[in-house]
Amino acid sequence: MDTMPSPATGSGAGQLPGPLSRQLSGAPAEPLTDDQLRELYSLMVAVRHLDTSAIAWQRQGLIPGYAPELGQEAAQVGSGYAVDTTRDFVFPTYREMGVARAMGVDMVAYMSTHKATWHGGLYNPLESRLAPIQAVVGGSVLHAVGWAHGQTLSGIAGTNTDGTAGVAMTYFGDGASSQGDVHEAMNFAAVMRAPVVFFVQNNGWAISVPTERQVAGGSVAARAAGYGMPALQIDGNDVVAVVEATRRAFAHARAGNGPVLIEAMTYRRGPHSTSDDPGRYRSLNDERDDAGEDPVERFRKRLLADGVADESFFAEALAAAKTEEEHIRAGIQALGPRPGMEMFDLVFQETTPALQAQAASWREESEHV
Amino acid sequence: MSNAILESGAAMADRAPRHGVEELSMQQALNLALDEVLAENPKTLVFGEDCGRLGGVFRITDGLQAKYGTGRVFDTPLAESGILGMSAGLAMAGFHPIPEVQFDGFAYPAINQIVCQIARMNYRSRGTMPMPVTLRVPSFGGIRAPEHHGESLEALFAHVPGLKVVSPSNPHEAYHLLKYAATRPDPVIFMEPKSRYWQKGEVTFDSADPAGSAAGGPPTGAKVMREGRHVTLIAWGAMVARCLQVAGLAAEDGIDVEVLDLRWLKPIDAAALAASVRKTRRAVVVHEAPLTSGLGAEVAQLITQSCFDTLKAPVERITGFDVPYPSGDLEDEYIPNIDRILFGIQRVLEYRRG
Amino acid sequence: MAEISFPLPDLGEGLIEATVLEWLVSPGDQVERNQPLVEVETTKSAVELPSPQAGKVVRIHGGPGDKINVGEPLIVFEVPDNTAGIVGTVPKEEAPKRRVRLSAVLDED
Repeated sequence: MDTMPSPATGSGAGQLPGPLSRQLSGAPAEPLTDDQLRELYSLMVAVRHLDTSAIAWQRQGLIPGYAPELGQEAAQVGSGYAVDTTRDFVFPTYREMGVARAMGVDMVAYMSTHKATWHGGLYNPLESRLAPIQAVVGGSVLHAVGWAHGQTLSGIAGTNTDGTAGVAMTYFGDGASSQGDVHEAMNFAAVMRAPVVFFVQNNGWAISVPTERQVAGGSVAARAAGYGMPALQIDGNDVVAVVEATRRAFAHARAGNGPVLIEAMTYRRGPHSTSDDPGRYRSLNDERDDAGEDPVERFRKRLLADGVADESFFAEALAAAKTEEEHIRAGIQALGPRPGMEMFDLVFQETTPALQAQAASWREESEHV
Repeated sequence: MSNAILESGAAMADRAPRHGVEELSMQQALNLALDEVLAENPKTLVFGEDCGRLGGVFRITDGLQAKYGTGRVFDTPLAESGILGMSAGLAMAGFHPIPEVQFDGFAYPAINQIVCQIARMNYRSRGTMPMPVTLRVPSFGGIRAPEHHGESLEALFAHVPGLKVVSPSNPHEAYHLLKYAATRPDPVIFMEPKSRYWQKGEVTFDSADPAGSAAGGPPTGAKVMREGRHVTLIAWGAMVARCLQVAGLAAEDGIDVEVLDLRWLKPIDAAALAASVRKTRRAVVVHEAPLTSGLGAEVAQLITQSCFDTLKAPVERITGFDVPYPSGDLEDEYIPNIDRILFGIQRVLEYRRG
Repeated sequence: MAEISFPLPDLGEGLIEATVLEWLVSPGDQVERNQPLVEVETTKSAVELPSPQAGKVVRIHGGPGDKINVGEPLIVFEVPDNTAGIVGTVPKEEAPKRRVRLSAVLDED
């Protein structure tokens, strides 16, 4: 791990050579085509634009709060892009907008969580293959293990021949890696050889606490060795490296070889949330020194240098992103509150007399929006 | 489902339905219920610490791994949050997990997954991801066990939106309530009174049961275990047997005690409480859990709500104390005993208004 | 009923065997915890082994003069089915005892 470049200086090579990465089975995936590279760029621009717009929405009073992912576009789009939504399942936190967008989730339904419409979002998790948005730090990591073990029990996983094996990918950050549940999840997954990809976005900060005061042992990836699990510590600001690493991890898990941990080194360039004030714990100089090159700008330069895309393509991508954001904004604006009866109706599959009585008195005694 | 592991379980479902009456211990009744649930629904999974080869520390899962294989009945690593978090994920994948936490006190490390995840996932996912998780918790005290092996968590669980809570009082109830709970689409905390595991009782398997279990209807709501005219004792779990003893003693003094086994601690059968106390006009609720904010307060309020005009005395609560559950030597001082319950009955009998 | 076997414990530091001198109980006996079971001799001393638990003796291993290796069965007890090895004790079903008597004038108003 000591050969790992810092996130700021990571080269385009992305994935680390080293003993841990060699444990991963399977050949590297096919290289990305030019069309795919351009698609990735378009996704990153769409995510960047929606992310910065959401902060504006909050300042305009359209939404009460938002958790920006500025600077994590490569890590999120690259990993989400590798998901096969016909068979895999993703378990997000509350900061995976870029993953959701790359997976093709309805973004009005996704962003509705930030409008305070419904905690888990309004999208259908089963159809979109994205579990409901999760506010508990590290809360869904074990769910991925359970879901993945279900694939094993269903006799699907480990039989790579028919190509139907589903893999669970769970997201968490450097802060969440301190949670006991994350340890339990990794240990369970390794003991059961569950097809799980643990995707850590190490963005340097858990609100105000930097990684070095959060993570002992040098890195989250280093912990995988304790579970006998292969780990890849990658340059999370290189979208191509992220796609390739995630695809390799999926192939490894899909083939029945058990879980993989990916630690994508990135940087939270913005605040933790729209109510956070990073000036209280880091300076602009710190940000300039530590953030490294903007992943979107970096990818743009690379596409340009490799002759994969030109300025007119970039302009089209930005225009498309703006159009998309307008649609999503309109959708969010049009989103009224859910009927209050849903409070009562969605608690159980089989309701209770007490809950019905409470619903009845609510209906009679309250004014309803 | 094309599925080697699970089909082997489904193939076991050729057992003939049971009829008549059998004398079983609660441990045997629970084991039988799990056996049948595993046979009937290939999506059910039984797991926890030592649930596989050992058959559980109370042998409730005895023999099930040999019968249904390591895919459906298995040991987990020693981590309760892991067990419950994995249960949530398995439920999201379409399974019906029946996890065990080995002892009541071991549920505390899993509270986050129970309260923040399992109880809310149906709600959070707008009904698209139900949590048919039946969590078995060997519960309550009375066996001289170490610390954290004698806790009564029903009020804690009942307070959590999205959970249902049930506790059987005898082998018959254990069999029918577990079979019912394990077919529900919502999470149920199934609190097994561990001090009653080994006492035998008649289990009625068919509609011969007049009191409403099995084919006589789903075992929902409370159940009158002994009819009486003068006072209603309300209890659940191991305290039901104690209250039945008390009713026998009270009869020697000419006092006719009705014993109501609440069974479901959420939802509580308010109608059954009302029907019984309207008749007896006096109520004493008995539980092992500490007094303050215990479920007895909820029961008392429900009775007050429905029977205020006819009650002859305030509802009495005979409970454990607001102390950490004591060591075995002091256990009998803590758990409501016969005399304390009799004192409670005496107080409601002699109460006069004004 | 289930059986629980009690193996010869290491009676000193790293001893590997002991010789039976005299059995103090016989199969069929009901023994209490701490009741002396057997006298054995090791290379260090002769000691009396107290019973680790209550139960009915099913079998004893080795007669006087026989050597038993540490870890091998010494005595087998019978305990109630299923409860072998569980945590805690199984409460006994006892006739209810009372101190309090009820008295009431039940006006059926």
